[in-house]
Amino acid sequence: MSTTTTLTQQECLAHLASIAGQEHTQLCGETVAVAAADAQQIAEILRFADANGIAVTAVGGGTKLGWGNPVEAGIRLDMKRMNTVREHPWQDMTCTVEAGCNWAEMQKELAQNRQTVALDPLWPELVTVGGVVAANDGGSLRLKYGGLRDLIIGMTIVLADGTIAKTGGKVVKNVAGYDLHKLMTGSFGTLGVITEVNFRLHPVEVHARTWTATATDAARFAEPLRGLLDSQMTPSAVQVRVREQECALDVRIAALPECMDDHAGRLQKLFGQIELSETSENVWQARQKLFAIEGAVVLKVSLLPSDVCPVTTELQQWAAREDAEISIVAQAPGLMAVALKSSPDAAIALIKHLRGRLHGSGGSVVAQQFPEALRDGLDVWGCDSNALPLMREIKRRFDPNRILNPGRFVGNI
Amino acid sequence: MLLGRVLPQSHIDELRAAVGADGLITGESQLQTYECDGLTNFRVMPGAVVLPRNTGEVQAVVRICARHKIPFVSRGAGTGLSGGALPAAGGVVISLSRMNHILEVDIANRFVVVEPGVINSHVTQRVAPQGYFYAPDPSSQSVCTIGGNVAENSGGAHCLKYGFTVTHTLGLEVVLPSGELVQLGSATLDAPGYDLTGVFVGSEGTLGVATKVTLRIVKRPEVVQTLLAAFDSPQAAGQTVSDIIAAGMLPSALEIMDALAIEAAEAAVHAHYPVCGGLLLVELDGPSSEVEVLMGQALEICRNNGAREIRVAQSDAERALVWKGRKAAFAAMGRISPNYIVQDGVIPRTALPSVLSEIDRMSSAVNLRVANVFHAGDGNLHPLVLYDRAIEGQEEIALDLSYRILHLCVDSGGSITGEHGVGKEKQQALGYMFSEPDLQTMQLVRCAFDPQNISNPDKVFPRPRLCADVPGPYKPHPLETAGIAEIF
Repeated sequence: MSTTTTLTQQECLAHLASIAGQEHTQLCGETVAVAAADAQQIAEILRFADANGIAVTAVGGGTKLGWGNPVEAGIRLDMKRMNTVREHPWQDMTCTVEAGCNWAEMQKELAQNRQTVALDPLWPELVTVGGVVAANDGGSLRLKYGGLRDLIIGMTIVLADGTIAKTGGKVVKNVAGYDLHKLMTGSFGTLGVITEVNFRLHPVEVHARTWTATATDAARFAEPLRGLLDSQMTPSAVQVRVREQECALDVRIAALPECMDDHAGRLQKLFGQIELSETSENVWQARQKLFAIEGAVVLKVSLLPSDVCPVTTELQQWAAREDAEISIVAQAPGLMAVALKSSPDAAIALIKHLRGRLHGSGGSVVAQQFPEALRDGLDVWGCDSNALPLMREIKRRFDPNRILNPGRFVGNI
Repeated sequence: MLLGRVLPQSHIDELRAAVGADGLITGESQLQTYECDGLTNFRVMPGAVVLPRNTGEVQAVVRICARHKIPFVSRGAGTGLSGGALPAAGGVVISLSRMNHILEVDIANRFVVVEPGVINSHVTQRVAPQGYFYAPDPSSQSVCTIGGNVAENSGGAHCLKYGFTVTHTLGLEVVLPSGELVQLGSATLDAPGYDLTGVFVGSEGTLGVATKVTLRIVKRPEVVQTLLAAFDSPQAAGQTVSDIIAAGMLPSALEIMDALAIEAAEAAVHAHYPVCGGLLLVELDGPSSEVEVLMGQALEICRNNGAREIRVAQSDAERALVWKGRKAAFAAMGRISPNYIVQDGVIPRTALPSVLSEIDRMSSAVNLRVANVFHAGDGNLHPLVLYDRAIEGQEEIALDLSYRILHLCVDSGGSITGEHGVGKEKQQALGYMFSEPDLQTMQLVRCAFDPQNISNPDKVFPRPRLCADVPGPYKPHPLETAGIAEIF
């Protein structure tokens, strides 16, 4: 167990059991797992960990524990008991959800009033609200609805010293105080434990259709993609998919049923000679499928929208040259998931090359999933921001004893 | 911290060396221009005003301030309504009006890079030929600057659909209060690291000075349609708003004015509004086929809620007149009352009818009139408390009422400010909305950025004193009086 004191694991177990109850506390190898019932219990657990220098990892669905740098946590804080939709004032189109709430369960409950958190994260059946927020995950709906920073209106967090703090509120328009929820979103559990999230909601897209065009070279999509994004159409999702040497462009449009044919006609006009055919909604699972490719390195590549097609083509050419396998799912706003199977050296060389290629336009490459064999030679985050000292200072102020996921984030924060 | 009201000559000499003699203002009469922003009842004389031309000069000025612990505040057009750009006594005002260049326009990637002194509406003017616009539209947009918008996280009537300044800010170049330069975010999404762009926007100048801003631009919608519906009461109009939202529509704007506001707007700009208890303005935009269908649905909802009269603006000119009346509503209060206080609170949309009734009850109890103008779609109220300063004791009653309305917003699950910011005016009210641990946690961020507490100090957070701040009575900003800017 990672601790700076001489506390034994049994003593730790006993103390945590006194907070959360024996039935919610157990030993898991070198880690003590504890499932807290509420923010007050989390505050007590963190105070104890902080006083004893024990590293804590908060865990939701546990699907993204491999993301970022490894952490040897002495306490695994399980969020599964905090799993309810606390409030859903549907006429205000907001909700308050506990962080351990399963994403799909939450959506199911919101759907009773035909509402949704307009975000499509990976593995919705497995993940929790807190995990999605801490990792700032999201998929193709980003084009129309923005990311989590646009959907979260408030949050409750527990700091390393046990302080329970609220930020934002339950109304969409609100400029009172600092937006700490933006700081927490995507902070990988390094600043505090998220216990509740307030979302703004959108109506469920009841009538949606997806069209797909195919080609052997992503370059063919550059012009229709540019035209579509420059048009007055409002698709809810647009992605370019590549598997080996086959490329597809998917467009999802949600609209009133009586307007759908009009949209379809406009879309085909934009695509000209490239034929569009209506396809299944399943194509939007493509990003998730990349993570299931055995032994693949999966990268999150951020780039300018106009770079999507050229970089896709370059990656295809690279794969052909290196005799590697590559699959890509690129969202139109400029977020690309790339799965590659190659030699470790080739993978690391590609990551370096891509970072150099995208550096000038502010782009980035983060390795989200990779075989353990690659870990030693890999800079997971590739963050060379000149704001890193400021980020470290924020971490120091929030978590001076470095108990919250120490080392996991950029710059070993 | 500098306590005196005058900057030592040696510091002024350093500032002159940093920005040149033509970039420094120290004469008392010229300094007076900078002693307040749009909230004119707070006035403090700065020690000096600097007018840097570029990031390097801003850095040089901030380094001088950091070295001598001189408080500074950056300033755009000074149209803010909460005293955010109020100087510290003897401090430095960094006026960014000369950093007013649009540096980059990238239509293919839908962003622009601008300096902080660029005027909001100039961004739209620049990209309009390509069919784009910059969405946040505070009513002062013809004069207010992007730097100020970033500080306040400005909204506007159309943020219901399009979001706020933070929604459209991709990246920032920031001079930290130490003088160091950092790049936060970029034109691409999800840069690895903490979302410091998201934290900086809306921090009201307390975390440093933004010297470049990367903004998202949006394709102009194919069609815009605006309807006006007259109801017997603002409550009925409020219920219609809830029903429109519940029907799954997301209009680009949903605005309500009550009888007093209508009366004032009519007197000021003759918008030919119907005479009624509650006037609802609904604007829908998007692809033509959809807007047509949705407008039909909106009309039906209005009728079902008892709308006595419904008009759809038939031309751009008609639409412009509708908005002119709405935008003039604040300034028009002068037509029906000698003095008034502007408030800015937010409530959950469904609380609208009950909060309006409670405001009625509260205002009747003290025998004062309250006009209501609000961005109903997102529950952003702008109650205007009307009074006459000449009547002894009435100003105090009006101030107290306006403050209690703000508390009512918080008690109803809302916020003390939806777009005007906390600034100087609502520091104590922030303490009503957030608990001490919440505020201490925000301070952790502030201290990480600004350990010396020199960047717009004594703003936003409650001061360590027991007496509550009270919002000041409304006094028109010179820009407003001159007809250059409107307050929304």
